[in-house]
Amino acid sequence: MIIKHQEKIASPEIIQSQYEALGYICSNSVATAIYLACHLQKPILIEGPPGVGKTELAKITAAYLNAPLIRMQCYEGLDESKALYEWKYGKQLLYTQVLKEQLGDVLRGARGLDESIARLHDFGDIFYSQDFLEPRPLLQALQSQDGAVLLVDEIDKADQEFEAFLLELLSDYQVSIPEIGTIKAVSTPIVMLTSNNTRELGDALKRRCLHLYIPFPDAALENRILATQVEGLDSQLREQIVVLIGKLRDMPLKKSPAVSETIDWARALLLLNVEELDPLWVKKTLNLLLKFQDDIELVEPEITALLKSLR
Amino acid sequence: MRFVADFIGALREAGLPVSPAESLDALKAIKLLGLESRETSKTVLALTLVKRQSDQVIYEELFDLYFTSVEKAKATDEAKEVDEFGTEPAGNALEPQNEQTDASTNESDTHSLDTSEADKSDGAQANASSALGQALSKEQDMSLAIAQAAVAEKLSSIVLFTQKNHFAYKIMQRLGDEALSIEIRAEANSLELKKMQRELTKSRARLLDQVKDYVEQQYMIFARHKGLKYRVDYLQQVKLSQLDRLDYKLMQSLVQRAARKLASQHSRRRLTRKRGQLDVRKTIAANAAFDGALFHTRWKATRIERPKIVAICDVSGSVSRVARFLLLFLYSLQDVMPKVRSFVFASDMIEVTELFELQGIELALEEIMKRWGGSSTDYGKALVGFQSQALASIDKKTTVIMLGDARNNQGDGRIDIWEKVFRKSKRVLWLNPEHRNSWDTGDSIMSEYLPWCGSVEPCRNLKDIERIFSRLLKYS
Repeated sequence: MIIKHQEKIASPEIIQSQYEALGYICSNSVATAIYLACHLQKPILIEGPPGVGKTELAKITAAYLNAPLIRMQCYEGLDESKALYEWKYGKQLLYTQVLKEQLGDVLRGARGLDESIARLHDFGDIFYSQDFLEPRPLLQALQSQDGAVLLVDEIDKADQEFEAFLLELLSDYQVSIPEIGTIKAVSTPIVMLTSNNTRELGDALKRRCLHLYIPFPDAALENRILATQVEGLDSQLREQIVVLIGKLRDMPLKKSPAVSETIDWARALLLLNVEELDPLWVKKTLNLLLKFQDDIELVEPEITALLKSLR
Repeated sequence: MRFVADFIGALREAGLPVSPAESLDALKAIKLLGLESRETSKTVLALTLVKRQSDQVIYEELFDLYFTSVEKAKATDEAKEVDEFGTEPAGNALEPQNEQTDASTNESDTHSLDTSEADKSDGAQANASSALGQALSKEQDMSLAIAQAAVAEKLSSIVLFTQKNHFAYKIMQRLGDEALSIEIRAEANSLELKKMQRELTKSRARLLDQVKDYVEQQYMIFARHKGLKYRVDYLQQVKLSQLDRLDYKLMQSLVQRAARKLASQHSRRRLTRKRGQLDVRKTIAANAAFDGALFHTRWKATRIERPKIVAICDVSGSVSRVARFLLLFLYSLQDVMPKVRSFVFASDMIEVTELFELQGIELALEEIMKRWGGSSTDYGKALVGFQSQALASIDKKTTVIMLGDARNNQGDGRIDIWEKVFRKSKRVLWLNPEHRNSWDTGDSIMSEYLPWCGSVEPCRNLKDIERIFSRLLKYS
C-alpha cells in the first residue's frame, strides 16, 4: 500500500513507541512483524490464545497508517460469494429486460440468422462485467485506492477450501473471477490473518505469511498495558493484579484469563473502589476473570492462599 | 548472508520445513534490519522461518547454539583486524554481513603469504617449515581456518557421535597436520630445533583441542536432530510386534503425528445433496442470464453423517503390541472419527470405550495391557460376548475393525456371529498382524472368517496402519 508517511514505519522502535502512544503496548517482536509486513509486503499470520490483542493489533495498525480497516470474520461455510464478490442479480435481470427492448433496434434490417447473430456479438455484452459486480471484503481491499488493512479474522474457523482460495490473494494480491478474469490490487493492502489454532492451518498458507505468535504478556508488559488502559488505578493494586493473574495462568484452567479479561477486571475493581485485593472482593468479581464454572470452583478455595502469597 | 543460509540448513536438518521462498523472505528481512542485534535477528528469523508453534523450541535452541558460535568467530575476527591494522575497523558496525567475506579473503591472503614466507625463510633459522607450524608459532588465530577446513570436509553431514573423531582427524589433515607431524618427529640435531619441536607439539595439542571443540559444537547443531530422524524413519518400518519397550514413547508421538496428518487431510467432510430443498438465492443467481426463467435449479447441500466405528482388538500375546498402537491411532483420530466404540478381548469381550474417556489414552492403554493382555485367546467366547453387548447397536453406518491373528487354540470360532456382524454393518475390516504366508498355519483359522470380511489386510507396522486408515477415511 501507499504509506503516506514513510517515517512512520522507519524502524521497529518507532512503531513500538508510536503504538504505545496510541494505547497499544506491544513487544519488540510484534513491532518487528509490523515493520516487516510493511516493507516486504507480506501478510502476517497472528496466532495466540484468545484475548491477547490479535484483532486489536489490526485495528491499531489501520488507525496508525490512516488506512481503512476492512474486516472479514470467518466461519464455517464461508464461501467466495460472501468473501470476494457477488453478482447484482436484480440489476442483471433489469439489464436483460432493457436488452430485450433494444433488441428490435439492434436487429432491424438484418438479413438472415447469421447476420443477426453477428450483430448480436458486436453488441457490447456487459452482463458479466464490473458494473454488476458487488464487491465483498476481499475485493474491496484490493480495489481500495490508497490501500487498506485487511483483517481476516479467525481463519481457522473457515473451511480448508476457503484457505486454498485465499492463497492467490496472499501471494500475488490478485483474485480470479471466472467471468471477468484476474483482478489485481490497485494498491497492495496490508493483510493480517488471525487464528486461535482450533485447527492446524495448511503449510501452503503458512508459507506465504510471516508468522507472529503473541503469547500472554509477561508481568512487566501487562503492568504497562494496564497502566495505559485503566487510568487512575493505584500502582500497588496494579502490581497485585498482575501477579495474581500470572499465578492464575499457571493453574490448570480450562481457559486462562487473557489480557482483555485482566483489563475488564481492573476496570471493575476501579469502579467498585477497591483499594486492596481482599478475598471477599476477589470472590465476588471472579466471574469477570474466569468464564467456566469449573474454573471458578477450582480457584475459589485457593483465593486466600493466593492472596497471602502476594504480600 | 552466509550464516543465515547455513542456519537454514541446520533448521532443515532438525526437521523444520523451510521452503526456498521462506529463505528468501528471511534474507530480505535481514537485509532490512541487519544482524547486529541478536534479539532482533532472533525475532526476524522466527517471523519468517518458523511457522509452527511446536517448532519454536528447536528453533530457539539452534539459534542460540548457532549464533553464539558465529558471534565468537566475529569477535576474534574483529580483534585480529584491530591487531593487524592498528586502526579502527572502518565501517564494521555498519556492514556486518560483508565483514565475514572480507575477513575470509583476508585470511586466505595471509595463508598464501605464509606459504611464500615459508619458502623464503626455509632453513635460515630454527623456524617451523610447514605452513601450519608457521601459523602456530606465530600464534595466529586458527578458528576461521578450522571453519573453512570443516566446510571443505562437509562437517555438516555428520550424523553419529562416533564420527566426531574421524572428522576432527580429517580437519587436522586439511589444515596441514601431516607436514607438521613430520616436522615434529624429524630428527633434531640442534638444541634450538629441539626446543622448537617441543613448542610445536604443545601448540599442535592446543589446535587439536580447538578442532575437537569445534566439531563437538557443530555436532550439537547439525546431528542431534538428524539422529532422531534416522530413528523415526526406522520406527515407521519396523514390525510393531518387535518394537522395543524403550521406543514406545517415541513411537506414540509418531503415531499421534501420523494420525493428526490424516485427521487434517480428512477433516473436510464431503457434501451431499439433500433432495427437495431449493436454494433460492443460488437458483436466482444461476438463472439471471435466462431472464429469470428458472432453467437450472440449485439445491441446498447438507453434511453427511460421519462414520461410526467399532474396533475390536485381540490383546493376547503377540497381537497386544500392535493393538496398542492401533488403539492409539484410532483415538488420535477423534477429530474425524468421533464415534468410536472399542472392545478388547482375550477370552472375554470387554468394552473399553469408557476407560479411555475416564483415564486418557496412555494410562488406559497401560491398564488394558496389564489387566487383559497376555492371556490365551478364545475367539468363540469373545464373539459370543460381543453379540450380547454390541451386536444390536451395529447398523448400516458402522464400520467394524477387527485386529487379531485368528489363532483360536483349536476352539470353535463361532463364524456364525461374525457373519451376522458382517451382514448388519456397513463394512468389516480385518487387520492381521501376521504376514499373509502364515495365515492358516498352525491354529490360525483366518480363512474361516475370510468370507465375512469386506477386506483383510496384514497390519504389521506404522506405515500399514496409516495406509489402512487413510483409505478408510477416504471411502467411508
